[in-house]
Amino acid sequence: MTGTPANKVVLRDFSVFHGADHSLRGITLDVRANRILGVIGPAGSGKTTFLRALNRLNDLVPGIRTNGKAQLDGEDIYGSGFDVVRLRKRVGMLFALPVALPMSIFDNVVYGPRLSGVRDRKRLAEVVERSLTSAFLWEEVKDRLHSSALRLSGGQQQRLCLARVLAMEELEVILLDEPCSGLDPISTAKIEDALTILKERYTIILVTNNTKQAARVADETAFFLMGELVERGPTGTIFTVPSDPRTGDYVTGKFG
Amino acid sequence: MRIPPRYTQMLAVAVMGAATLFTLLILVFVVVFVLGKGLPVVNFQFLSGMPRDMGRSGGILPAIVGTFLLPLVAIAIAMPLGVGTSVYLAEYTRENRLTKVLRFGTDCLAGIPSIIFGLFGFIFFVVMLKMGWCLLSGGLTLAIMILPTIIRTSEEAIRAVPNAYREVSFSLGATRWETVWKVVLPNALPGIVTGVMLGVGRSVGETAAVIFTAGSALRLPASMFDSVRTMAVHFYILAREGISAENAYGTAAVLIISILLINLATYGMMHHMLAKRNK
Repeated sequence: MTGTPANKVVLRDFSVFHGADHSLRGITLDVRANRILGVIGPAGSGKTTFLRALNRLNDLVPGIRTNGKAQLDGEDIYGSGFDVVRLRKRVGMLFALPVALPMSIFDNVVYGPRLSGVRDRKRLAEVVERSLTSAFLWEEVKDRLHSSALRLSGGQQQRLCLARVLAMEELEVILLDEPCSGLDPISTAKIEDALTILKERYTIILVTNNTKQAARVADETAFFLMGELVERGPTGTIFTVPSDPRTGDYVTGKFG
Repeated sequence: MRIPPRYTQMLAVAVMGAATLFTLLILVFVVVFVLGKGLPVVNFQFLSGMPRDMGRSGGILPAIVGTFLLPLVAIAIAMPLGVGTSVYLAEYTRENRLTKVLRFGTDCLAGIPSIIFGLFGFIFFVVMLKMGWCLLSGGLTLAIMILPTIIRTSEEAIRAVPNAYREVSFSLGATRWETVWKVVLPNALPGIVTGVMLGVGRSVGETAAVIFTAGSALRLPASMFDSVRTMAVHFYILAREGISAENAYGTAAVLIISILLINLATYGMMHHMLAKRNK
């Protein structure tokens, strides 16, 4: 396919209110399929709120309201009767801190597929090998799949979390919330390598505090500041000739 | 005048150490005293025989059976109710006036003396519902009595499960119930078991509520509608009516050892389960 790929996620004047706070202010943004969108911005700029709005994980927080349009493949994800459970199977999320569930490595990876009703041992074993391989973890854990996931190092746990997301069969979009903030450079490199391969199959939104990481892996980058989307564009442009001076100040480290 | 920190530290260690030692000594004294007086009469005959002459001679088999059956019935009723309530309070409701009233209610219930529960059980189950003195009346009464303890400890245990686990589960497409069943309850299990064990402890040692509702028959129960006597009640009657001080101490010794065994078995089981999960 040539030309511009279809828009996977479409936001139109989308806002999130947290009690009296206006945490996300009228965001209008398209996320193209099979691309990596990097999201940068200082702490409190609404990056995480933005991410958690896309799989409706914000719903769990009391007092959260949204306004405006948010669509996945043209479907309103905040529309009445929209299946939130199914949405979260299509839009997976990797959190800032790796959270391995206190069960075996195997059980962690197949958590999603089992929820979808997959019981066949052979099929589950295939899912585990495929997902762990994609997350660059298979070689390190293939001999101890049934030992506790809590025994893994932080970097390994984060790759396990990635594999757990990739194991979901309906997965289309991957949200990453500063996935490398607590990781060593080698683990970080492994996650980044995985992402550049994974974008062939999935749409990826990567929130990061590390502007260099956005520069390395993102096709496009969006800059958030105080709940507003200041600017978005091809990563090269954002980092070299941004149109808004605030973007320039942030990426060159003048504030934030 | 100010005492140097070095000395206050030494004083604190000495005072608290003495308090701990004193507590431990009382406990050891009670156990040694009861076992010393009771163990001489405990033999196979005592454990497996039927009581004769109101318990003046013979064994205490029916009381041992009653002591295990009655808490079992109580737990079978109270555990699903208590754990269900605590899951509902901790997972399905946001903190509001209703949950506060419910929690206040359970706290009040926990503070009511057991004889009041016995009186209620007698009036409601034994007389009004015409169930008579029986295993079921006693079990239901004890269930109501230990319910608050189970609810509170389970709720604490459920709230102590890290929220990150829930978020991960939801983010992988789990419903609230799937999250509770697969992540929250397994992780809250040690706390829930502790609450249940506190309940078991209370029902094993209970006398007032039991005499009023389960009666004090000296036969082996054949059904839920037969009266039973527990070791605690047997001990109380033997001692209170001056029937046999020797056999009363014997019963007390068996009771203490039973409680010890129940606790050891439970914690052994829990340890085994946790070890399996963290393998």
